[in-house]
Amino acid sequence: MSAVLPRHRVNVLTGTKSARLIEDPAEYADLIKKAKRPLLVVGPLLLESTADGKLLLEYALDLAKAGGIPVCATAQTRGKIVELGVQPDCLYDAVEIVNALKDPDWQGVKKEGNHDLVMFCGIRSDLGNQGLSTLKHFARHLKTMTLCKHYFPHATYSLPNFKKDSEWYEFLESLIANLKKGD
Amino acid sequence: MAVAEKKLSRKLEEIHERIRAEIPWEPLGPTPMPDMPDLRSWDMRLLKTYKPFYAPFCDLCCLCTYGKCDLTGGKRGACGIDIATQQARIVLLACLMGCSAHAAHGAHILEHLIEKHGADKKIDLGGSIEIEAPHIRTVLGLKPETLGDLQIAIDYVFKEVSHLLDSCHTGQEGAALDYESKALHAGMLDHVGMEAADIAQIVGFGYPTSVADTPLVDMGWGAIDKSKPTILVSGHNPATSTELIDYLREHNLEDKVEVAGVCCTALETTRYSDKAKIVGPLSRQLFFMRAGIADVIMTDEQCIRTDTPQEATKVGAAVVACLDKAMYGLEDATDMDPDEIVRRMVDDGEHFAILDSSKAAEVAVKVAMELAPKRRKEWVTEEEAMELAEKCNNCGMCEQVCPNLCRIGAGITELAKGNFEPMRVLFNECIGCGKCEEECPRHVPIFRLMQVAAGNETWKARAGRGPIMDTEIRTVGAPITLGTIPGVVAIVGCSNFPDIEDVADMVDEFAKRKYIVVLSGCSAMVAGMKKDADGKTVYEKYPPDFEGGGVVNVGSCVANSHITGAAIKIANIFAALPLRGNYEVMADYVLNRVGAVGVAWGAMSQKAASIATGCNRLGIPVVLGPHSSKYRRLYLSRKEEDDWRVMDARKKEIVDTGEPSPEHLAYVCETKEKAMPMIAKLCIRKNDTPQGRAIKLNHYISLHKKYIGGGLPEDLHLFVRRDADIPLVYKKEVRAHLQEIGWQPKEPVGLPTYIGTYPSKVSVDAVIH
Repeated sequence: MSAVLPRHRVNVLTGTKSARLIEDPAEYADLIKKAKRPLLVVGPLLLESTADGKLLLEYALDLAKAGGIPVCATAQTRGKIVELGVQPDCLYDAVEIVNALKDPDWQGVKKEGNHDLVMFCGIRSDLGNQGLSTLKHFARHLKTMTLCKHYFPHATYSLPNFKKDSEWYEFLESLIANLKKGD
Repeated sequence: MAVAEKKLSRKLEEIHERIRAEIPWEPLGPTPMPDMPDLRSWDMRLLKTYKPFYAPFCDLCCLCTYGKCDLTGGKRGACGIDIATQQARIVLLACLMGCSAHAAHGAHILEHLIEKHGADKKIDLGGSIEIEAPHIRTVLGLKPETLGDLQIAIDYVFKEVSHLLDSCHTGQEGAALDYESKALHAGMLDHVGMEAADIAQIVGFGYPTSVADTPLVDMGWGAIDKSKPTILVSGHNPATSTELIDYLREHNLEDKVEVAGVCCTALETTRYSDKAKIVGPLSRQLFFMRAGIADVIMTDEQCIRTDTPQEATKVGAAVVACLDKAMYGLEDATDMDPDEIVRRMVDDGEHFAILDSSKAAEVAVKVAMELAPKRRKEWVTEEEAMELAEKCNNCGMCEQVCPNLCRIGAGITELAKGNFEPMRVLFNECIGCGKCEEECPRHVPIFRLMQVAAGNETWKARAGRGPIMDTEIRTVGAPITLGTIPGVVAIVGCSNFPDIEDVADMVDEFAKRKYIVVLSGCSAMVAGMKKDADGKTVYEKYPPDFEGGGVVNVGSCVANSHITGAAIKIANIFAALPLRGNYEVMADYVLNRVGAVGVAWGAMSQKAASIATGCNRLGIPVVLGPHSSKYRRLYLSRKEEDDWRVMDARKKEIVDTGEPSPEHLAYVCETKEKAMPMIAKLCIRKNDTPQGRAIKLNHYISLHKKYIGGGLPEDLHLFVRRDADIPLVYKKEVRAHLQEIGWQPKEPVGLPTYIGTYPSKVSVDAVIH
């Protein structure tokens, strides 16, 4: 339920222009499919594993494969991605990729023009949210989306705070399945 | 026009008089005592390559009654400000707070010491230090000879701070870049203020100087004899703690009362007495207070908790607030009879502000000796901790408010089952803010639970040694600028670390690779809080000299000025470039030829912001930990797209090097693993000889392979000028890679400089030595 704002909101406006919270994997998949030049940025939190031993990074790589999305590896994720037999499409650290993305003239990973949708997953929430704030304020030419298990208010689209990791994994699996379905 | 010239002339005359310009110890450069715009061209040149990168922490401006103003979506505020300029303004405010903290600390110390020794007390830093104040000499053009001369430096800083703060008022500066130039100015001033403060302390308190091998002092709560009355000194200003030591010595109580310090006062106190103990960094402050070991807590200034009296009351300890910066609403007992104060503190549990440091010391000792026998100082047992942990229902509220994103609930749950290991991990990650306990609906005493993880281990830290010696600079000047010492890594700042052990790991990694590792502040303490397989800390493992493979603790926050001062000394002593009123030439030399990098891995405070920004104006890049994205502003380049042209001063030609060295000026790393190769990369300079470059690239590649993996660094080709730059051990692999991507060799630049590439009063000839 959204808050009711008084007529003169100048005196109460306190927060951010917040992300649209989306809980339906199909809706998330539709947004990704609509993008012309999406990009997936993966960070080092994905080097952790689920209780079943599945590397979180594998979800991200499956998603990229399903959606035909180029992958940007930050920090030490590169090594593990290569170990998994995949070559990331580009290597930037978190602040570097955000710095490039905020330039509307940047030609993007594929040199086909800047990206119109950037998904982030696996970057610690304080740094991630600050980077999303940069893009919210200075990169109005693109939209941002988070795939982490917590809500990121500075994104354009965000997942909710999942109470259980298993709910998050289910979301990601369903999202991947929806992307595989095609249009 | 004539009026303007007359005004300028009078202003310069005043400056010349203040700095005794007629004494010809060096020719006077173009910018003695610079005002805000005097170094603006240099700043704009830096900002052309290292553009501000803003990550707004808030969408709004809340500073005046027109607001709150929403600055999202390109909207401007009621005064006309946009979101970028607002960020720059907040950064400037932060730098001014930081700069003011150090300068006011310096002013207080000077007042205290001039009262004791007189304004004519000579500055003597020992036989190995002639360039006693590289910042004051460079920025002001003054060669300070007495404590009174240091006051001139502080007065100059105060004046500039007022002008800078004025510019933050609603409805003035309208460009982010100009706010950045002002922030850089504030950062530069900060190093002047810090230098004045620490020189005064060294001279006035007789701290170690002109010596590398300072004592190893005990660190950790385990080093404190809990059976003795214990006084905790907390903060940064040693006026009180030195009086405390003096009082104990005069009354033969030094072995009967424990003095333990937290944060920088701990470092200051151990420079004065090797019997004092270091509890640890700022992140251990609340933990230690709640442990109840201290009978009396003496606070001074900066980075002391604002709830110290409330926390002390909880454990039956007493507080003496010793400085006017933090009086906590307490009764000012400065003029009260000491015995009356002691009675009320012991019998009635009152806390007081006492601004006379010798009286504060007397009261603290008397109260500690009376209170100690009455207090219980027992560490919680494992059984008690398990019982307390059972109150937790793992609701997750603690985790939601933890600034370091710690998994606290899971740690408590495991502790309740008797598994203490997750809590030990948590204790290493804990930054000591206490928000978790504040939030807990079941009031689980999380900090008490941490006692079972904290153990009683003790460590060693080397006492701070003050400035780098001129003799050391003469030895390392050439190898640093040629690159054969691969870099100077200065690990500094607060304790908002992702993991407390990261610092010791970084020190060890770079010291063993023969970088010069320099430490200060909380980072200097934390570096000693990890032992290797032989039980040695980095201070016991590596020599204390400013040489390749040395690990040097310069001291507290204000001693940071000695690290940047060493960079200036390299330009002045080794390269024989005059420094007097010659800031641009010094900064240009450091940026282009001195492979130094700052690492503020746990930066938290406004002081850290100003210290780092001062490093940046001097041409020293700074690597920050992930939390530091909350500072809102970085200085980043985009390596393959930015302007990497420099002047070759020997040929007087502008050369497009295409080489991003140093690549960034203020950079946030996500992880320690990312920071390791980034630190090595940021030590690369255009001035490196082929031998030096090969050494630096060897470390860059090797650290990248060790911590990142997946092959060679993706930007390696940008740093290889010729085949001779390729490190021998990677020759084959790198050659194959370069051939594959179509790399072409390029000539190194003989004498790289920014001078001559932007409008400046300085001529290119000024950088030729």
